Amino acid sequence: MAKSVRFMSAVLVAGSILLSACSPKSDQAASEGSGSGSGSSGKQVTLSVEVFDRGNSPSGYTIKDNYWTRWVQEKFGTPNQIQMNYVPVPRSEEVEKLNVLMASGGDVPDIVFTYDSSTFYRYALQGGLTDLTELIDQYGPNLKKFLGDEVLNYGKVEGKLYAIPAKRSNLGKYSSFIRKDWLDKLNMPVPQTTDELYATLKAFKEKDPGGTGGKVIPLGMTIAPAQYEPLIWSFVKETTEEQKYTLTQQLGSRDYPILLPGFKDALQFMNKLYNEGMMSRDFGLDEDKKKMSEDISTGKVGFFSEDDTNIYYADGTYETLQSNVKGAELQAVDVYTNEKGEHAKPEYAPVGLYVMIPKSSKHAAEAVKYLDWMASGDVLFNMQTGVEGENYTLKDGIPVALENPTEEAKNRMFNAGDMTLITNGQQLGSPEKNKEARALQFPPKYQDGAREALKISNSDTVPPVLMDRPIEAQAKYGNTLLDKFNEMIVKTTTAKPEQFEAVYESLMKDYMASGGQAVLDERTKVYGEMKSK
Amino acid sequence: MKMTRYLGRYWQLYALLLLPLAYFIIFRYGPMYGIQIAFKDFNLFQGINGSEWIGLDAFKEVFGMRDFYKTLRNTLMLNFLDLLVSFPAPLILAIMLYELRSAWFRKLSQTILYIPHFISWVIIGGIVYQVFGTQSGMINNVITALGFPEVPFLTDKNTWLITYLLVGVWQSAGWGTIIYLAALTGINKELFEAAEVDGATRMRRIWHITLPGIKPTIVTLLIINLGHMISIGFERPYIIGNTMVRDYSDVLSTFVYRIGLESGQYTLATVVGLFQAVVGLVFVLGANFVSKKLTDEGIL
Repeated sequence: MAKSVRFMSAVLVAGSILLSACSPKSDQAASEGSGSGSGSSGKQVTLSVEVFDRGNSPSGYTIKDNYWTRWVQEKFGTPNQIQMNYVPVPRSEEVEKLNVLMASGGDVPDIVFTYDSSTFYRYALQGGLTDLTELIDQYGPNLKKFLGDEVLNYGKVEGKLYAIPAKRSNLGKYSSFIRKDWLDKLNMPVPQTTDELYATLKAFKEKDPGGTGGKVIPLGMTIAPAQYEPLIWSFVKETTEEQKYTLTQQLGSRDYPILLPGFKDALQFMNKLYNEGMMSRDFGLDEDKKKMSEDISTGKVGFFSEDDTNIYYADGTYETLQSNVKGAELQAVDVYTNEKGEHAKPEYAPVGLYVMIPKSSKHAAEAVKYLDWMASGDVLFNMQTGVEGENYTLKDGIPVALENPTEEAKNRMFNAGDMTLITNGQQLGSPEKNKEARALQFPPKYQDGAREALKISNSDTVPPVLMDRPIEAQAKYGNTLLDKFNEMIVKTTTAKPEQFEAVYESLMKDYMASGGQAVLDERTKVYGEMKSK
Repeated sequence: MKMTRYLGRYWQLYALLLLPLAYFIIFRYGPMYGIQIAFKDFNLFQGINGSEWIGLDAFKEVFGMRDFYKTLRNTLMLNFLDLLVSFPAPLILAIMLYELRSAWFRKLSQTILYIPHFISWVIIGGIVYQVFGTQSGMINNVITALGFPEVPFLTDKNTWLITYLLVGVWQSAGWGTIIYLAALTGINKELFEAAEVDGATRMRRIWHITLPGIKPTIVTLLIINLGHMISIGFERPYIIGNTMVRDYSDVLSTFVYRIGLESGQYTLATVVGLFQAVVGLVFVLGANFVSKKLTDEGIL
C-alpha cells in the first residue's frame, strides 16, 4: 500500500531533519556557490546528478553505473573534462529525500528535480536555488529551443528562472470506457451525452446485461482524480477569464474547479447516481483504484473514466477482463458533455519534472551544459530509443520497439526514462508522432483502442491556469485543502438527497475557512497585478 | 577514600551504563536542540541558527487553526475510548489464561493471542478492508445473504469508531497480557490454597487475591497510558481511517504529517509536537498525583 511508503518516508525525514539540525550549516557554502562557471580552467570537475532509483536494476548494471551513465560519460563527460556522478533517490520518497539533501547543504547534487511544484516554489522562495536566467542564455541555446517559452515560464518565480521544467510530450489525461458488449446485448447505441449516459447506466442497473447477479456497478468510481475529474469538469459552466484565474484552486499539481460555477451541479449529479445505486458503493475507500480495477476485470463495471491508456497494458485491467469474461469488450468513449456540447476535461500542464540547481552548487554552468547537451542533436532520441536494430526499427519515421529484444538490449533501457531529465515521454518532434509512438507501446490487439483513447484524452481539453507568480497560500494549505476536497466529494455524494444541501454548505464553509479563502484572496490579488501590468 | 574504593570495585557496572546513557543523550536529549524551530521561521537552507526568531507567532497560528482543535478532540476521544475498551481487555485475558489448568493449552492460546501484535498496521488495514467493506466485505456478505441491510463498518463515523476500537483490542490485547502474566506469577500460591480450603469460590479468589496482587502493575500501566493520552500513533488512525470518517479519524499525528512533512511547514509541526509533549507531561504528573492520593501507588 502506498500509505506505508509515505509513512516510512515521513519517519525518515523527521529523523533527518533532527540530524541535520545538529550540524551547523556554513553560510559561506551558499554565498560562494552562485554559479561561477569554472569550465575554462582546464581541470576536471565532478558533476553530480540526482537519479530516481526504482530498485529495478538488472544484473550487471547499477543505478549509478549502467549503459546510459557510461554513454553520457563517454559522449559528454570526458570530452568536457567532467566526471559524471549519479546520486540515487528512491522514487517513492522523492520529495522527502530531496528535503533531506537540500537541508544538508554541501552534499546536495548539482542537479536535483521534483514533480511537486509546491516544493519547487518553496525552495525558490526560501532562496535555495540558483538563478538560471543568465546561465541558460549563456550555456543553453539548444535547451531553450527545445523547451520553448511556454514550458520555461513554468520554471519562473518572480520573473527569474529557478527551474528548467521538463517538456511533456502528451498533454492528454483522461478517456472514458464502456462495455460495448453490454450495449450490444441491450441493443443500445453508444451514449453521446451525459443524459444519454444516465439512461444507459440505468439500463445497466436494471437489466444487468453482464449477468452479475445483482452485483453490477454501472459507474465505476474511486476517490482518485482520473475517475471523478472528467465528470466534474463537464459540469463547469462557461467561465470568464477573470473567473478562471481567481476561482480555480490549484492543489498539488492539479487545478480544482471547486469555486467555479457548475461545481455544485456535478456533486448533485454524483449524489443522484450514488443514491440510485449506480456507483461503486465504497468508492470513498478506494484511493489507489485497486478495488475498481478488480471490479472492472471481474466484469462488474459498465462504464468508467481512467487515465487514457492505462487499461491497455499487457496483463493490465483489460486483458484480465477478457480472460475472465468471454466476449467482454471495452470501447473508449467521450461522453460527459458540458452546456456547450463539448466533452470538457482537464489536460496536463506542458511540463513534467522541475529540474533545479541548488544554490550551494559550484557547477551550475556545467549543469546547464549537461542539460543543453541532452537537448542537442540526436542525444535525446538515442537515449529514449536505444540502438537501432537491437531495440527498435524505424517505421515511417517512428521508432517501433522490437517485440523480442535480446536480454542485453532490454536491460540497456531499464532506466532510460529517468535519465532524460528534460522530457516527460517520448519526443519525436510533433504531438501526432508522440501519440503514435505511445500507442505502439501496447500489445498489437489494443493499439487501435489506445489510439482512440489518446484522441479522446486530447480533445476539448481545459488547460491548467498559470499565474504570474506562485500562490503561497496554495503551497501552504494545498495538502489540507486536497483532503477537504476529497471529503466534500465523498460526503456530498453519499449524503441522502434531502441532506445534500446542508452537507454541501457545511463542508464548503469548512473548506473556505481552512485555507480556501486565503487562496481565493491571493489569487484575486495576483490577478489584479497581472491585469494592471 | 571510601568512594574511590567503591568505584574501583564496581567500575564495570558504571561502564556498562555508559552506552545506554550515551544513547539517551544523543537520541533523546540531543534532538531537543531542535525545539527552537517552534519559535523560528524555519528555512531549510539557512538551518536552525540562520532562521529568524518569530516568538510565539507559530503558536498563535496553530491555535487559530480549526483542524487543530478537531484533531486534538479526536486524539483525546480515541485515546479515552481506547482506554475504556483496550485497557481492561488484556487484564481480563491474563486472568483467564492464569486460571487455565492445562499448561499446553495455555501456551497455545498465548501464542495465538500474541500473533496480531506482530502484524504491521498496513497489513491489518488490508485485512480490515476485506472483512468490513460495505459492498464486498466478508461480514457484510453474510449479513446481506441473511436478508439484513448492510452495515457501514468503515464508512459511517460512529460504526467506524467501534471498528477502530475492536481492531485495536484484537491487535494489542494478547501482547498486553505479558506484563500481567509476569505479575501474576509473583502472587504467593499458598494464598490460593488457603482460600480454597476456606471454601472461597473462583470468583472470590480472583477478586480478593489475584486482583489485589497485581494492583501495583495495573496502576503503573494506567499512569503510563494516561501519559499517552495526548499522543497517538500515526499508523492506526491513518490506515484504518478514510475520507468518509475524517471527522473522527483525523488526529494530531496525521495533522502533523500533513502540515509538517507533506507541506514542509516544519515550524508548525514542531509547535504541535511541543504542545503534545507538554500536555503529556501534565497528564503523567496529574495521574501520578491522584493515584498516590487514592491508592498510595505511583511511579514517581
